[in-house]
Amino acid sequence: MTIWHPSDDGHADLSDHDTFTRGVPHNTFARLRREDPMAWCEGGQFRGYWSMTRHEDIMQHNRNTELLSSARGIRMEDQTYEEYVARRTFQETDPPEHTRTRIRVGKAFSKPVIDRQSEVVRGLCCRILDTALEQEEFDAAALISRQLPMRMLGQILGIPKQDLDWLVTKGDELIANTDPEYTDHILDRDDTQAYRFMPFRSPAGADLFRYAKRLMEERRTRGEGGGVLDLILEPDDGDNVISDVEFRNFFCLLVAAGNDTTRYTISAAIHALACRPELLEQLKRGDDAIWRTAPDEFIRWASPTMHFRRTATRDFELHGKRIREGDKVVYWFVSANRDETRFDRPFDIDLSRSPNPHLAFGQGGPHICLGMWLARMETRILLQELVRRTARLELAGDIEYLRSNFVGGIKRLPVRVIPETPST
Amino acid sequence: MVKITWKIAGKDDITADIPIGNTLMEAAVDNNVPFIEGECGGCLSCATCHVFVDPDWYGTTGAPGDFEEDMLDMTEVERSPTSRLSCQITASTELDGLVLHVPIPD
Repeated sequence: MTIWHPSDDGHADLSDHDTFTRGVPHNTFARLRREDPMAWCEGGQFRGYWSMTRHEDIMQHNRNTELLSSARGIRMEDQTYEEYVARRTFQETDPPEHTRTRIRVGKAFSKPVIDRQSEVVRGLCCRILDTALEQEEFDAAALISRQLPMRMLGQILGIPKQDLDWLVTKGDELIANTDPEYTDHILDRDDTQAYRFMPFRSPAGADLFRYAKRLMEERRTRGEGGGVLDLILEPDDGDNVISDVEFRNFFCLLVAAGNDTTRYTISAAIHALACRPELLEQLKRGDDAIWRTAPDEFIRWASPTMHFRRTATRDFELHGKRIREGDKVVYWFVSANRDETRFDRPFDIDLSRSPNPHLAFGQGGPHICLGMWLARMETRILLQELVRRTARLELAGDIEYLRSNFVGGIKRLPVRVIPETPST
Repeated sequence: MVKITWKIAGKDDITADIPIGNTLMEAAVDNNVPFIEGECGGCLSCATCHVFVDPDWYGTTGAPGDFEEDMLDMTEVERSPTSRLSCQITASTELDGLVLHVPIPD
C-alpha cells in the first residue's frame, strides 16, 4: 500500500498556492529535474524566477552567497528596498554579517543545549498525547502536531503557558499568510499594502511585537535573564544594540519558524504510519538504531520548508540558461529531497536510510536551520511516545493540505487510534 | 594529494589521499568518515565537522579563527585544546601525514 501519489500533470504552476492544496506537485518537480533543471517560471502576481530543482545544483550553489545572495529577499515575493529593510532578519543577510548574528543565538539551539531539554519535550509529548488519545477519532494535525512545537518554543523563550494558544494563532497568521483558514489578509488575494513594512506582510507582526516588548519588560521586572531573547538584546563586541524593528522581526521569525515546520513533519509522519502499518510495526520493534535514522527520514519525506529564494548578484550561466543580475533564483528543497540521482527509491520511506543527505534544513549553506536539533528531537520523542501508546492507526477521513508553496503540508488529518492495551 | 588519517575510537583508522585545496570536512564526507557531517557546507553555521587535531600537528594546522572559536562552543562533543572545525582547514603540502581524531558522541 502506498502512502501518497502525486496527481499533478507534470506542468503544475509552482507560483500558484492552489496547486499545493492537492499536495506537492512532485510529477512537475520530477519532470523539471529531468528536462529543465534551471527552469524559468512565471511568477503570477510577482516577477518571474528561476527554479533550481536538482540536489546537486542546490548543494553547489547554496554556499556561494557571493553569487546568490539572501540580502535582497528570501521569498518569491518582490519587495521594495524600504520593505526589505523594514522586514529583514538575519535570514535576509549574507556572511559575515549573518555569521555574527547567528553566533549570538546559536548556542541556545546547539545540539548539547537542546539535548538537555529532552525530558521537557517528553513531558510535553506525553501530556499532548494523553489528551488527544482520550478520543478514538480526532484530527491529529490539530490535537497533536499543532500542539508540540509552540509549547516547546514557549519553554525555551520563557513564555507563560496561558499565552501559547494565542501565539500559535499569530504564528499561523504569519507563515500561513496564503491560506484563508488562518488569515484575514491573504497575501496573494487581498490588498496587503498597509502591512508591507510588517514581517510576512501581516498585521500579526505588530501584535507579536507588542507582545514581545511586554514579555521582555515583565521578565526584566522579575529579574529573569539568560534566555534566547536576552542574548539577542545584549550589546555585541562593538557595543551595538539591535533596534526595536530588528528585535520585532527576530521574535516573529522565531514564532513563525518554531510554530510551523515541525508540525508538518509530525503530520506527515503520522499520515505515513496510518497508511503503512508496517512502518508502525518497524518502529515498535525498533531499537535505538532506528530512532537515530527515522526522524531525518520523516523530515526528508515531509520537507515542510519547500523553498527559499536567493538573488543573483551578477550574470551567470547554468544548464544553458543565462541568469541575469537581479534575477530571483528559488532553491526547491522539496524537489531535491526526491532527487532520484541522490536517493535510492526517493518516494519510499526507508526508516533506516543512512546516510540521508536531505536538504530539508537548507543543508549546504550558511542558513541551515537554526532549530534543526530541536526539530529532530521533537519528531523523535513525539513518535516514540505515540508508537508506545498505539496498537493500530488508521485514517478516518480525507486529509487536507495547507494553501502554500512556501511552508506547508497536511493541515487536517482525521485518524482513528486503537490504543495499546496497557501491559500488566 | 596529501595523506590524511582520521582515528576513530573502537574502529579502523581511515586514511585517504586528499586533493590540495579541498577542506578536510569535504575530505571526510567524501571518505564516509563517521560523525563528520558538515551540514552547512563549510559556512560556519553548524559545528558538525568538529575534529581533535593530533597534538603533534596542532602547531601546523594553527588555531581556530574568530568565528570558528565561537562555533566550537556549540559542538556535540565538548571541545578540547586542539579542537578545530575541519571545514576551516584546507589540505596543503604542509599537512601531508596529518592525523585527526574524530569526536565520538555518547
